[in-house]
Amino acid sequence: MADAFIENYASEANIVINIGAQSESQTKDTVLVDIAAAADVYYFADDQTRELVAAGALQPVQNADAVAAANAQGAVDAATVDGTLYAYPAMGGNGYFLYYNSNIISAEQAATWDGILKACNAAGVKATMEMTNAWYSYGFFAGAGYACALSDDGKTTTCDWNAEGGVNVLQAMLDIAANSAYINLTDGEFVSGAKEGTIAAGINGSWNAASIAEAFGDGYATAKLPTFTLNGEQVQMGSFDGYKFVGVNAMSENVGWAMRLAEWLTNEDNQVYLYEATNGAAVPANTNAAASEAVQANPVVAALAAQSQYATAQSLSVGGNYWTPANALGTIVVNGNPDGLELQAILDECVAGITALVE
Amino acid sequence: MQGHSTGKRRSGFLSRFGTAFFDGDIWVKLSVLFWGLGYFRRGQWVKGVLATLFQLVFIYFLLAFALPNLSMVGTLGKTEYASVYNPDTMKNEVNDYDDSFLILLFSVISVTALIAIAVVLMNIIIESYKLEIDMAQGKHINSFREDVKELFDSKFRLTLMFLPTLGIIIFTIIPLIFMIAIAFTNYDQSHMPPTKLFTWVGFENFLSLFRTIAGDGSSQSSAFGYSFVRVLAWTLIWAFFATFTNYFGGIILSLAINNPRTRLKKLWRTLFIIAIAVPQFVTLLLMRNFFGNLSIVNTICSNIGLTGLLQRWGWITTDYIPFMTNAAWTRPMIILINFWIGVPYLMLIATGVLMNVPQDLYESARIDGANKAQSFFKITMPFVFNVTGPYLVTSFIANINNFNVIYLLTNDYFEAGNLTMAAAKATEVDLLITWLYRLTNDYYNYRMASVIGILVFIVCIFFTLLAFNYTLGKGKEETFR
Amino acid sequence: MSRTSQNVTPKREKKPMTIQQKIALRKVPGDIVRHLILAALAFIWLIPIIWLLFTSFSADPGRNVLRFFPIEYSLNNYQQLLFNPGTVVNFPAWFKNTFIVAVFTCLISSMFVLMIAYTMSCMRFRGRRALMNFGVILGLFPGFLTMIAIYYTLKLMGLTNTHFGLILVYSGASGLGYLIAKGFFDTVPESMLQAARIDGASEATIFWKIILPMSRPIIVYTVISSFLTPWMDFVFANIIIKERIPQYYTVAMGLYRMLDKSSVNIYFAQFCAGGVIVAIPISILFVIMQKFYVESVAGGSVKG
Repeated sequence: MADAFIENYASEANIVINIGAQSESQTKDTVLVDIAAAADVYYFADDQTRELVAAGALQPVQNADAVAAANAQGAVDAATVDGTLYAYPAMGGNGYFLYYNSNIISAEQAATWDGILKACNAAGVKATMEMTNAWYSYGFFAGAGYACALSDDGKTTTCDWNAEGGVNVLQAMLDIAANSAYINLTDGEFVSGAKEGTIAAGINGSWNAASIAEAFGDGYATAKLPTFTLNGEQVQMGSFDGYKFVGVNAMSENVGWAMRLAEWLTNEDNQVYLYEATNGAAVPANTNAAASEAVQANPVVAALAAQSQYATAQSLSVGGNYWTPANALGTIVVNGNPDGLELQAILDECVAGITALVE
Repeated sequence: MQGHSTGKRRSGFLSRFGTAFFDGDIWVKLSVLFWGLGYFRRGQWVKGVLATLFQLVFIYFLLAFALPNLSMVGTLGKTEYASVYNPDTMKNEVNDYDDSFLILLFSVISVTALIAIAVVLMNIIIESYKLEIDMAQGKHINSFREDVKELFDSKFRLTLMFLPTLGIIIFTIIPLIFMIAIAFTNYDQSHMPPTKLFTWVGFENFLSLFRTIAGDGSSQSSAFGYSFVRVLAWTLIWAFFATFTNYFGGIILSLAINNPRTRLKKLWRTLFIIAIAVPQFVTLLLMRNFFGNLSIVNTICSNIGLTGLLQRWGWITTDYIPFMTNAAWTRPMIILINFWIGVPYLMLIATGVLMNVPQDLYESARIDGANKAQSFFKITMPFVFNVTGPYLVTSFIANINNFNVIYLLTNDYFEAGNLTMAAAKATEVDLLITWLYRLTNDYYNYRMASVIGILVFIVCIFFTLLAFNYTLGKGKEETFR
Repeated sequence: MSRTSQNVTPKREKKPMTIQQKIALRKVPGDIVRHLILAALAFIWLIPIIWLLFTSFSADPGRNVLRFFPIEYSLNNYQQLLFNPGTVVNFPAWFKNTFIVAVFTCLISSMFVLMIAYTMSCMRFRGRRALMNFGVILGLFPGFLTMIAIYYTLKLMGLTNTHFGLILVYSGASGLGYLIAKGFFDTVPESMLQAARIDGASEATIFWKIILPMSRPIIVYTVISSFLTPWMDFVFANIIIKERIPQYYTVAMGLYRMLDKSSVNIYFAQFCAGGVIVAIPISILFVIMQKFYVESVAGGSVKG
C-alpha cells in the first residue's frame, strides 16, 4: 500500500516511507513517551483515542465530512472527540463474540451460557471467557442494563454497577465461574486449548479467527454472545465494539503529506486489500467495503454483526480508570470470592475505583 | 602534596579558596574577572590562553542556554502549545511555546554545569595564588609540558577519574536530580509536555500519599496511600525471604557438594550452573508459561490428582492451581522461582569462600580435640558469615529493587484481586519498583512514580545505615595490605 | 578430614578394622543419601531447561500444555529463526546488534570501572572517603527512576534510537560499579607500589605497566560481566530504541516481544530456540567469569 501511495503522488513530491512494526493496542505507549519522535502515521485501537487527543498527538482530520461519510457511523463516532474528527477509520470489528465447536455444542445450546456449560460438561471439555479482563466482563453488566459512560471531562467514567440489583449480576458471574466447565484463560491459552481439544467454546475477538478455525476444523462456528441467567431470566450479554484507526501525528514535520497517506491507507480499496491480505482478520470500517459479499460471508463478520446491536463503543463508554478495578473484580469472581466479601461491598469498591477522578 | 607555604594542615577546599582570594595580590583577585590573568602574570602562557577560552565558552553558555531556562524555572513555562494547520504549506504552524519538561531538564543541566564551572574557577584562583607564592619564593614555575606530565603522575587520579565521573554525572546525577524535582511537580498524564505545561506543587504529592493511608477510596490518590503500605510490606518481606532462602540454600548446597566424600564435584557444579547460565529473562518468561493456568504443570497436577485433592481440601476454588494468578499462591511461587534462579549462584560464591577457610584453623581445632560438628559451627560458619556478611546486605538491598523477577513473571498475567490496590494501579505482588515502572510506562504518572522512587531510596538508605552500623569495626580495607 | 582410611599394605590375615575404617563405613549410607539428594536436586533444577530445549525442537509453533515432550520434532524453529528473518522476527540482526553494543559497552565499561576502582583503592587523596560514600548513596536510587530523564538527555544529544546511545546508557555510569574491582586492588601490597615510586615510575606507568598486567582475574571478570549486560536488559533498550523496526532491536527486546499476547501462540517455540541459541555463548562466558571471580576474590594477596 505504501508503494502504491508513493507512485500515486510521484509527480508531486519525493516521498520515502519507513515502516515499523507496532502492536495497535500499545501504540499509545510508544507515541506518548516522545510525540515528536513518533511515527508520522500510525495505527491504533480506538480505546486510545482520547488519551492521544489529550496529549495533542493527533492531528484533526481536515476533510472530516468526506471521511465520515465513507465509513461506518460507529467508527466515526468513536474517532470523534468534542465534535472534531481526529482519526481515519481503518478497521472495524474489534469487538468480541462467541466461537464454538459445533461438533460438541449445538447452535441451540450455543445461545445460552447454561447450554454451553452443559454441553461442555457432557463432553468433558471446557468453555472459556477471560473474566479477569475487564474488556470481556463488561458484557455481563451491560447486557443487564447497567452502564458505564464517559463523563463530561472525557476522562472519568461514571458507573452504576453497584446500583439496585447489581449484586445479582455479580452473583450470576460467580455462578458461571463456579461451574466446572468454565475456565478463565487468556487469548493465547484459549488457542492452545482449542488446538489440544480441551476447550470447546470461547469468547474472543477476531484476531485469533484463523488459528481457531484451524483448531476446530470442520466444527468451526461463530455466533453472537450467549445469554446468561439473571434472576431466573435469560439476559443477552452486551459487549464492546472496537475499531482501529489511522492517526496522523500532530507534530509531524510533513503533516499535510502524512494526512494524505493516512487517507490513502484507509480508502475503500485499501481497506478491502487489507481485509484480503490478513485473511479476514482486518474487517473494513468503510461502509461500502464492509457491505461486499466476500466480507459479509465471513463468519466472524456475521457474528460481529449479530452482536453489534448489543454492543457499545469502548472509547465512548469507559475512561482510563475503568480497567484495573474491573479487572480486579473479574479476578475476585474467577477465584470464587476467596475472602468471602459481601457482594454489595465488592461492587461499591469497584465502582469507587472506576469512577475515581483521573488526575 | 607539594609544599604549601601556609603549612601542612589539611584545609578544606573553600577555605583554601578564601585564603587564595583574600591573601592574593591584585593579579589573583582580578583573575576572578579575567580568568587567564593570573597565569599570564606568572608566565604560564598556555594555561592562560586555555583559561580565557574557557571563560568565553562559559559566557556563551550562560547567555544562550542557562539564563533563558533558569529564568523560567520558577513557573516552568507560561505559554501553552497551540498550532494551526496551514493547508497551503501542508504544515502545522506552531506558536512559540514553553516546554516545561525541557525547561526543567535544561535548568538542572545548567545548575550542574555552573557548579562545575565554579569549582574550576575556584581552582584557578587557588592555583594563581600558589604561583604567586612560588614566584615570590623563587621556586620553579612549571612549564606547560611539566604540568601535563604531572597529570600522569601526582595528579594521575584526576586523569583517571575524569571520564568515568563525567559519565556518572551525565547519566546518573543529572537525571536523578531531575526526577527528584519531578516529585514536586504535577507532571502526569493530564499535564504532558509539549502540549501541556506542568508546574510546581510543593509537597502536595507526598502529603496526599500519607494523608490518605487510611484510604477511603473516594479519589484515585487516596488509594495510593493504602497501596503504598501494602506494597512496601510485601517488598520488605520478599527481600527478606529472597535473600535468606537463597543464602542458606546456596551454602547448604555448596557444603553438600564440597563435602570431601562427594564424588564428581565438578559434574554437580556444572549441572547447577547450566540452570542459571540461560539468561534470566528467558527462564523467567519460560516459568511464567510453565506455571500458567493452562500449562504443563497444571496438566500434570490434575493428571496426578493433586488439583482434585486441593479442591477437596478447599485450598483452591478453580479447576486449576492458580500458581500465577492468585496472590496467595503467587507470592510463594515467586520466592520459589527466585530460589531456583539464585541458589546455584550463591552456591558458587559459597564454594569460593569455603575453599578459602584457613586450614590451620581446623588443624589447631583438631589438636584441641574438637569434633567435626564443633569445627563446623565454630569455625566454618562464622568465617563464612564474616566474609559474606557484606554480600548479604547488598543482596538484600538489591532484592528490594529486583525488578526482573517480579515483572517478567507477573506482568500482563497476574491481575490484582484487591480493588483498592487496583485503583492505584498496584498489584498484590508488586514491588515498589515494579509499581513505579507501571506508573511511568503505562500511566505516565511521573510525579507519583518519582515520589515512590524517593521513598524506595529512603528505605534503602535506612537498611544500609543499619548494616553499616552493625558491621562497623569489622573488616577494614587495610587488613590485607 | 579428607584422609580416609588407608589400607597401607595388603595383609594376608584379616585385621580388625581400624577406627578410621569403621567411621568411614558408617559414613557410606550418608554418602549414598547425599548423592541421591544431589542427583534429585540437579534434576529438578534442570527440568525447565530441558523443557526449553525440547520445546525448541518442537514442530508445533505454539505452547505445549498437554505434554511435556513435544508431539513432533523438527528443526523448523531454528531454521526460521536463523535463516528466515522476517518483519517481526529477525534474530540474526538482533544478535549482530546486541553483539556490537556489547563489545563497545564492555570496552568502555571496563575502562571506567578499572579506572575508578584503582583510583579509589591505591591512591590516597582528600575527599576519597566522601566520594566513596557518595557513590554508595547514588547506587541506592532505583535505576528506573531516571529512565525518562536519560531518554531526553540523549535526545538533547541526538542519540536516541541509535545503538551508540544504547552503548552510552549501559556504560556511562558504569563507574559506580567499582566495588568488586576495588576489593581486588585492595590486595595489592603497598610495598610494591612504594618500590615502584621510589624507582621513579610515574603513577601512570605504575597503573599501565605494573598493576594492570597482574590483574588478569579481575580484568577478565569485569570485561565479561560488562559484556553480558546488554544481552540481558530489555527495559532500557525498549526506551532508547524507539522506532519499532525489528532490525534495530537487541536480542532481549526481540525475544520479549515474541511473547506478547498476540504473538505467543505463533512464536513460542521459536522463542525457545532463540533462548537456547543465546544461552550458549552466555553460559560459556558465565562459567569463565565465575572462575576468574573466584580466583580474584579468593586469590588473597597478589603475588608480584
